[in-house]
Amino acid sequence: MSLTSAELSTRAIVTGGSPKRRRRSSRRPPVITGLLLGILCIVVLSPFIWMTLSVTKPTDVAFANPPVLWDYQPTLDAFVNLWETTYFADYLVNTLVVAVVSTVIALVIGIPAAYALSRFPSYVSALLLVLALIFRALPRFSVVLPMYDISRALGIYDTTFALAIALVAINQPFTIWLLRNFFAEIPKELDEAAMIDGCTRIGMLRRVMIPLMGPGILTAGIFVFLFAFQEYLTALVLTDTSSKTVPVFIATQLGQTLPMLQQAGAASMLLTIPVFVIAFIAQKYLVAGLSDGAVKG
Amino acid sequence: MKAREFWLLFFPSLLIMGALLVLPLVRTVRWSFEQVRYGTPGTFVGLANFTDALTDPRFHRAVVFTVVVTVITTAILLVVGYIIATGINRITTSRPLVLGIMLVSYVLPNLVGAVAFSWLFDDNFGGVVNRLIGFFGGTQVLWFTDQVPNAILVIANTVWHMLPFAMLIILAGLQGVPNELKEAAKIDGANAFQTHISVIIPTIRGVLGFVTLITIMDVLRMFDNLIPLSPQAQNIGNESIMLYVYSVAFADGAENLGLGSAINVLTIILILVMLIPFIRGIFKEAKAER
Repeated sequence: MSLTSAELSTRAIVTGGSPKRRRRSSRRPPVITGLLLGILCIVVLSPFIWMTLSVTKPTDVAFANPPVLWDYQPTLDAFVNLWETTYFADYLVNTLVVAVVSTVIALVIGIPAAYALSRFPSYVSALLLVLALIFRALPRFSVVLPMYDISRALGIYDTTFALAIALVAINQPFTIWLLRNFFAEIPKELDEAAMIDGCTRIGMLRRVMIPLMGPGILTAGIFVFLFAFQEYLTALVLTDTSSKTVPVFIATQLGQTLPMLQQAGAASMLLTIPVFVIAFIAQKYLVAGLSDGAVKG
Repeated sequence: MKAREFWLLFFPSLLIMGALLVLPLVRTVRWSFEQVRYGTPGTFVGLANFTDALTDPRFHRAVVFTVVVTVITTAILLVVGYIIATGINRITTSRPLVLGIMLVSYVLPNLVGAVAFSWLFDDNFGGVVNRLIGFFGGTQVLWFTDQVPNAILVIANTVWHMLPFAMLIILAGLQGVPNELKEAAKIDGANAFQTHISVIIPTIRGVLGFVTLITIMDVLRMFDNLIPLSPQAQNIGNESIMLYVYSVAFADGAENLGLGSAINVLTIILILVMLIPFIRGIFKEAKAER
């Protein structure tokens, strides 16, 4: 009962349709298609392969032209350097705090709002969809520059809290829209049954809806987390030194001396690895968020 | 649901969005009519900021660059995304692996992806791409200091970053095409190419429209990836609109907030105009459902 139909169609995207369809289309294995997709995967990954090589080379070899491809002693000096000579640990903590705090707040305020909207007639959701689209499309600076001005006036400029709450607001239309689509899959009769059994609206949301919405909430949570984790522009404007995040740090390392460039690469690798893990482990939820959240209105 | 319950549940979210999205937006609109610096009240100057923006050749270059990159990227994404989605739709067992790898470039921080991407082209890092071009008999390309090659680099990076998104949405659309339709086309004697052009693509029209819309909106706002990919953007004329706003209104003590806000407002108007057909479609559907 914990599967929504949204999830079922996602499963079809990930695994390739129902067994019946699969049998019909497996007359011969698609060798050429597989080969081309394999090459494509290598091309897609090539920037990372090259970055990994560049970061694990000794500094003088990393910047050699023509490039040295295998005749060198791999080293983790760039990582050690990054850890010892910069405040990378602080920046990483800031990034994680911002991502976690903004994900929690976004879900706590987004879940009730999305539920309320899903139980209203369709023109309200149409209006919401339009607003979500418009706010998603806004030039980021049109809200972030005033936020900078306001946060200075309030004295919360350059705090992780200000950045986290700014990201909650910026991602809220998308969060609500995604969650609403999952809530809309749950039949209204269930609400009524629970209410007859004596639940209040909020008690019902907590006891009945949220357990049923597990996959949907996880999907929205992963997206909001990733959005906050990778945000550069907002962090650039709203932070200075004490709450700087890793993407901002990486950008300031560019255009500096060669060892610092290698540090930027090492920082990029460290920021990338968790995302790689998420892309594989939570693939089903990412696909669900992208396809079901997006395609359906 | 009673109205009181609705507002109780919706209020916290509404409060955050009102305070942190709508209010700042209102301030941007007000600033666009003012001569203003951070932290001080501005003076009303009418449409001066808008005339300044519209007569600034640097702004014109930024608009042309942004629009050209947006149009080319969107076209490539639709075609390549469709082809790859068709390919992935055929494989079954290795599909999770392929999707996982394809997703990486999308879920990665845009900035980090662009840094990694730029190193493939950077002669300081061995210039792998230039070596490959040389190997096939081409000449050295100045990827970072020459306008057109740099624009190609930016487009390549944007396509690389957005392709997983486009591909996944189109894949979701392809799964919704009934098999009977494809079989009927086959019986009528259509070859594979004709089936795609006159059966499958018209069926997933809505999905392709959605991909187009999101791509256009995202590429029009490009900013992050230009930091590593086009360090000399202003000199070579490859500045995006957002980069231009940043450099007049924020970077290195720049405080021309009025001008920056005016450009933001112009961009918002442009985006709203583009969204109108989609908004009408959404409302039409909602009405039909009722």
